[in-house]
Amino acid sequence: MAQDFEPPEVASSPANPAATNPIAPEQPAPTELEGQRTHPLTGLIQGLIWGAIAASALGTQQLSGDNNFLFSLAIVVTGFFAGVFLGLTSWLFTRYSINDEEVRIDRGLVFRSSRRIPYERLQSVDINEPLIARLVGLSELTIEMAGGSQSQNVIRFLTLDDARRLRRLLLSKAHGTALDEQVEGSRMPESKELITVVPPDRILYGALLSLDFAFAVLSAVVAVVAGLYFVSSRFFSDGGGPWGVFLAVVPFAWGIIQMINSRILAQWNFSLSRHRNGLRIERGLLSRSSQTIPYDRVQGIAVIEPVIWRRLGWSKLDVDVAGYGESATTEGGVSSNTLLPISDRMLAEYVLNLLIPDADRARYEELRPPRRSRVFAPIGWKYRSIRTTDTTISSKTGWIRTSTDVIPLHKVQSVQMTQGPLQRRLGLASAQVHTPDGPVNTQILHLDQFEARRLVFDQVERAKRARLAAAGRAFGPDVDHPGHFAGIEPVVGQSDPLG
Amino acid sequence: MDDLFTSPTGKWTPVSPALATARKLIGLVVSAVIALLGAAVTAVLASITQGWWWVGVVIIALAVGFATWMWWWAPRNQRSWGYAETDQDLLVRGGLMFRRFVAIPYGRMQFVDVESGPIARKFGFASVSLNTASTSTAATIPGVPLDEAARLRDKLTELGESHGAGL
Repeated sequence: MAQDFEPPEVASSPANPAATNPIAPEQPAPTELEGQRTHPLTGLIQGLIWGAIAASALGTQQLSGDNNFLFSLAIVVTGFFAGVFLGLTSWLFTRYSINDEEVRIDRGLVFRSSRRIPYERLQSVDINEPLIARLVGLSELTIEMAGGSQSQNVIRFLTLDDARRLRRLLLSKAHGTALDEQVEGSRMPESKELITVVPPDRILYGALLSLDFAFAVLSAVVAVVAGLYFVSSRFFSDGGGPWGVFLAVVPFAWGIIQMINSRILAQWNFSLSRHRNGLRIERGLLSRSSQTIPYDRVQGIAVIEPVIWRRLGWSKLDVDVAGYGESATTEGGVSSNTLLPISDRMLAEYVLNLLIPDADRARYEELRPPRRSRVFAPIGWKYRSIRTTDTTISSKTGWIRTSTDVIPLHKVQSVQMTQGPLQRRLGLASAQVHTPDGPVNTQILHLDQFEARRLVFDQVERAKRARLAAAGRAFGPDVDHPGHFAGIEPVVGQSDPLG
Repeated sequence: MDDLFTSPTGKWTPVSPALATARKLIGLVVSAVIALLGAAVTAVLASITQGWWWVGVVIIALAVGFATWMWWWAPRNQRSWGYAETDQDLLVRGGLMFRRFVAIPYGRMQFVDVESGPIARKFGFASVSLNTASTSTAATIPGVPLDEAARLRDKLTELGESHGAGL
């Protein structure tokens, strides 16, 4: 399948898009939509999916039963058509509207639901192309709100062009910027700058060289060997022997398949671009996904270095965006927390500086747990530390899997200090800095108790100052001068920074 | 509580002693029920078997132990709770065995809940929970007297709006 990236358009600047736009739009594109239906094929696709599910469920149920063959067939076919009918009607009664304050999605005939998303609560808009929809050129739009597990709102399915147009419209409304009339309505791509494309071999090596993949494969091998042993020694004459081996292997095989899917297939051709509103991530082999991470919604970044990768200088970046929650949706779905699945140190620093700029990163104060905390973590205590600057706080932990969690201070929610009975005996306490739920977890465990207290009060003070400073300036880094990391030039065009 | 959890403003607003009373009462009732159960078990087992009647006695002993522990724990736990309002944050401390101190900026508060069950209402207190965008904040102050709880809720909501820091 061809890569269907939006070609990076570096030369055009937002100030003068007309210079690069040879196509004049026939009419100004609508900025308000009322009661729109999604693409008609939606009903058919949804119907087919539900019909297939119903048919297979009923089919397996009938297989175990004793009924007349024709009767079973009738039930399965009825189930299939019921699924198709439900899919079609659900499409028929789903409408979306976009006006000046909110997006509204109305569903249902009997049980009606109307989901409203005011623009202030709109975090980001992602485009996902599940395999089936992709085959017919359709995609779905996912709108992320701040907070809660119910915050995923999906508009299914639209043509890719429609989806992109809608995304531009929604993002411009969310950010309060006027939509560029010349850009809208034309097939001209939005201006953005490619930062990197993760090459496929890097993704493959990274997945193969990770500990949990090795563990999964090892478990599968052990299961097969054990199964064969039992088959040969005990069930030699039993016809059900091979089934036992098969059944033992199935859960492990499934786990490996899931892992391959989320680590390799979903991250294929992972490309990261700098965009006006945020970072744009496009990835996926079978199902493509296009995700925007707005600059001002980044709550924290975790840099993860598993032990094998550390030798090679590789790391993985996870980002905490309010509303995305703890873990990625399954099948490597749209709203993944992965910022960069695998990258070398220079690129990781660059992206980190882009999203969490810190002018005085080199001038930090560091705190480490004292020796007496080894009661709690005999090996790990040496590897824990917390570093604070005026604008960020970052904690480092782990000796097998080192994780560095960085938070900008103006995003801190609350600060906490805890002390259990054993800690009290040893004069230790733990400190934690809270951010919205996500993979980033900035904390230092078992620090000397008075140092912990000083740290907590210090952070309360610094967070207050950072909040006031942030309120007085526009959010997000200056796109033309990202970060303050000396010596790193922004990567432009197709050159590969991974060398 | 010790030096570690001293308030930066010098004092902590305590919660109502009725919290301890209510907890002691609940502890007594629960242990009385369990003790009765234990007595019943003893009687039944003594009449059926020869050597197993002591199981019921163990149950009674556990019930008495529970009541004693609750009598000791409740007032100390109640005294450990406190909150203080500074100009930018609300500070909360609490806990006896597992002590905790949280500082929540006013602008980060999403909403403030005041809850009280029937027993709490009878004794005149409620628990005030503060929520931010992070579920690990989990700051709940138990045993706040009812009018003080209402005052806190109104004040915090108002401060939350005026300091509103966005996300």
